[in-house]
Amino acid sequence: MSDLNTTLVFTAGLIASSIIAIVVGMAYSLILPGIERKVQARIQQRIGPPILTPGWWSVLKFMYKSKTEPIAQMPRFYKSLVYFGIAIVAFLFLFTTPYWWSVLGWGSILGIAGLLKLEEVLYVFMGSQSQSILSATMPVPDLAKGSKWVGIRREFIEQHSADRTLKMMAIGSIPMYLALIVPFVAARSVTLSNVVLVQNAGYHSAPWYGIPLPSSPILFTLPGALAAIVYFLGFIMIMNEKPFSILKAKIDVIEGGVLEYAANLRAGYYIMRNLLMFALSSIFVTLFLGIPFDPFTPSMMLLNMLLSLILPVAMSALVAFSPILTFRQIYPTTIGLSALGVLAMILSVSL
Amino acid sequence: MTSAMDQKSTQNKDAEKVIEKELSFGPVHPALIEPYRIRLFVNDEIVEDCEININMAYRGIEKLFDGLPVEKALLIAERVCGICSHVHAWNAVRVIEGGLGIHVPERADYIRVLTHEFQRITSHLIFFGHAFEVVGHETFAMRSFLLRESFMDLLQYLGGNRVMPSVPIIGGIRPRADLTEALKKVILERCDQFEVKYADYVRRAVEDPVVMSRLEGIGFMTKDEAIKWHATGPTGRASGWDYDLRKTMKEYKPFDFNVIVLPEGDTKARVVARALEVLECLKIIRQAVKNLPEGPVANRDWTAKEMKYTEAYDETYRGELMHSYSLDQQGLVRNYKIRTPTITNLAAMEQACIGDHVTEAILTIASCDPCLTCCTRAELVDNQTKRSRFMTEYEIVNKYGWRR
Repeated sequence: MSDLNTTLVFTAGLIASSIIAIVVGMAYSLILPGIERKVQARIQQRIGPPILTPGWWSVLKFMYKSKTEPIAQMPRFYKSLVYFGIAIVAFLFLFTTPYWWSVLGWGSILGIAGLLKLEEVLYVFMGSQSQSILSATMPVPDLAKGSKWVGIRREFIEQHSADRTLKMMAIGSIPMYLALIVPFVAARSVTLSNVVLVQNAGYHSAPWYGIPLPSSPILFTLPGALAAIVYFLGFIMIMNEKPFSILKAKIDVIEGGVLEYAANLRAGYYIMRNLLMFALSSIFVTLFLGIPFDPFTPSMMLLNMLLSLILPVAMSALVAFSPILTFRQIYPTTIGLSALGVLAMILSVSL
Repeated sequence: MTSAMDQKSTQNKDAEKVIEKELSFGPVHPALIEPYRIRLFVNDEIVEDCEININMAYRGIEKLFDGLPVEKALLIAERVCGICSHVHAWNAVRVIEGGLGIHVPERADYIRVLTHEFQRITSHLIFFGHAFEVVGHETFAMRSFLLRESFMDLLQYLGGNRVMPSVPIIGGIRPRADLTEALKKVILERCDQFEVKYADYVRRAVEDPVVMSRLEGIGFMTKDEAIKWHATGPTGRASGWDYDLRKTMKEYKPFDFNVIVLPEGDTKARVVARALEVLECLKIIRQAVKNLPEGPVANRDWTAKEMKYTEAYDETYRGELMHSYSLDQQGLVRNYKIRTPTITNLAAMEQACIGDHVTEAILTIASCDPCLTCCTRAELVDNQTKRSRFMTEYEIVNKYGWRR
């Protein structure tokens, strides 16, 4: 009977924690793009949009726009990818909240890495599905009689973006995963619970109103600092932002696989993208500073949210000063970052 | 749906080159500031061949000139392009001035040159804005447009309008565009302020290793290729071809300036060549203001009369520009032809991007500074059906007869 009670209490806590985390996380994540744009605008000596416009209001606006059917090979599958994306990112975020740490081992490096990989695969599917009118099917009589090349397979720009996604999956995301491993190696464990415990010994025993600050964050060690740099650049690669935004380079593939998302689907994509940005930032704070997003410890939740601004703000500054890199630059950059990640991992063994 | 035959790679018999796929962009595309179609034939990310199709936005501007009094035609000439409006107006009047031997006062020539160099600076700064936008560096793009404002203001002070200053008229310049002492002072002050900010801007761009890694080593075009593919203007000069029409123009004789010629021939060279040209423009502007001769600004002593088909060439901001027309017995314009620099640079753009990555190819094309709508001609609109269509050559001959 007591086992059943314990299970019921845990399940109720899990559900309540998840609801709070998702509601707060999603609401907060929609403010981040506004901050991002504001920082960029200030760097470029512009005023920039109001903070709530790029996140909140654009999502609400797109929700109420008249729906259009995307042009895709399998439109229903293409549409469902957005919802899969939101679910994947939501679980990625939830797995890093304390209640989920003990559920089937999902609060571990395996859960995080697995879901991140799934999220990357989505872009391949999106790219291979979307067939916008902006490239191969544009009604332009350009197959002239005198053309040098006839009968060549014409590819949609989104398909080309999918090709690029595969390359980025193969090499571009390696630094991110290497950086993710470092705190786990330092903690000699695969679970998030132990990573937090190593850095913040008082967290597990603190009352709900307490403010258990970390005593020895990994970020302030040499391997931790190296891994944080790699994580930051890996974060930008996963977010497909400049300088690693080759999947959605405006000058050729425009938006890549998400080009055909309009109205509610575009709103869904924005939610997915912003929640991913917050989830990855929150994971960084949890792994490298030992401050998890705990819905039942308000101080930790607020601290986590506040510190989660570090990566998006740093990313905005980098975006403002960076061009889009092509694979000529991305390959050597990734190799260099991977080497740095491996070095951080080796050094973290001695912690 | 693509056929099975289309699915496999197709081999071109002539070139014996295997092409994996074709990627086509435009004419509706956010990166293209004008409507044109780029067909890239690629293997993986590498561009093996390129075709640029223009003719998406006909305006029929040459046809508009036909039968107009020459003074009215001049107003239309300025509207060929919004970026290089002055040079079209100037070259249009240079045709009749050359054809009928109309004397132009020296002071007017100086002010025409001054306006020309103002617009060269604004044009090159638009180029930087666009090029950095294509590179993906928004901050440099924005700063470029910010810097450009100084000279847009000066154009307004001089001609009364930022985009169409309408400075030249046949035989001189409009009296309202004459330089006052106060304006001379403003121009010199603005040039000094601009030079400091601009030098800092260029230094930061050139010293940024990440930005330069995007520009270096792509879009190669040797001097021989530049000549073969008719690359004019900074596009040709960045490949080592020392060719600048200003050195042969009588209007530029009093000015001391250097022609920027770079041997590298890559995309970076094309950007740097324009960056250095801006400094030469400032040199010319200062000379024009300081050495401005006294005297009248317009010669009204001329009448439009029959003129043989005459051509005039000018070194515009993108390369060589040709205007040509004849006048009939009543002094009305006939057979107006304009050849803008982009039409001669097109082949060079197609060739220079071969071997680049796809993203770089678009940058290489942008680095040749295309202005495509200016080089596109003729559209026929049926008033009854309200539809536009293209005429066959047979229809043109039937309707308008042969042009002589």
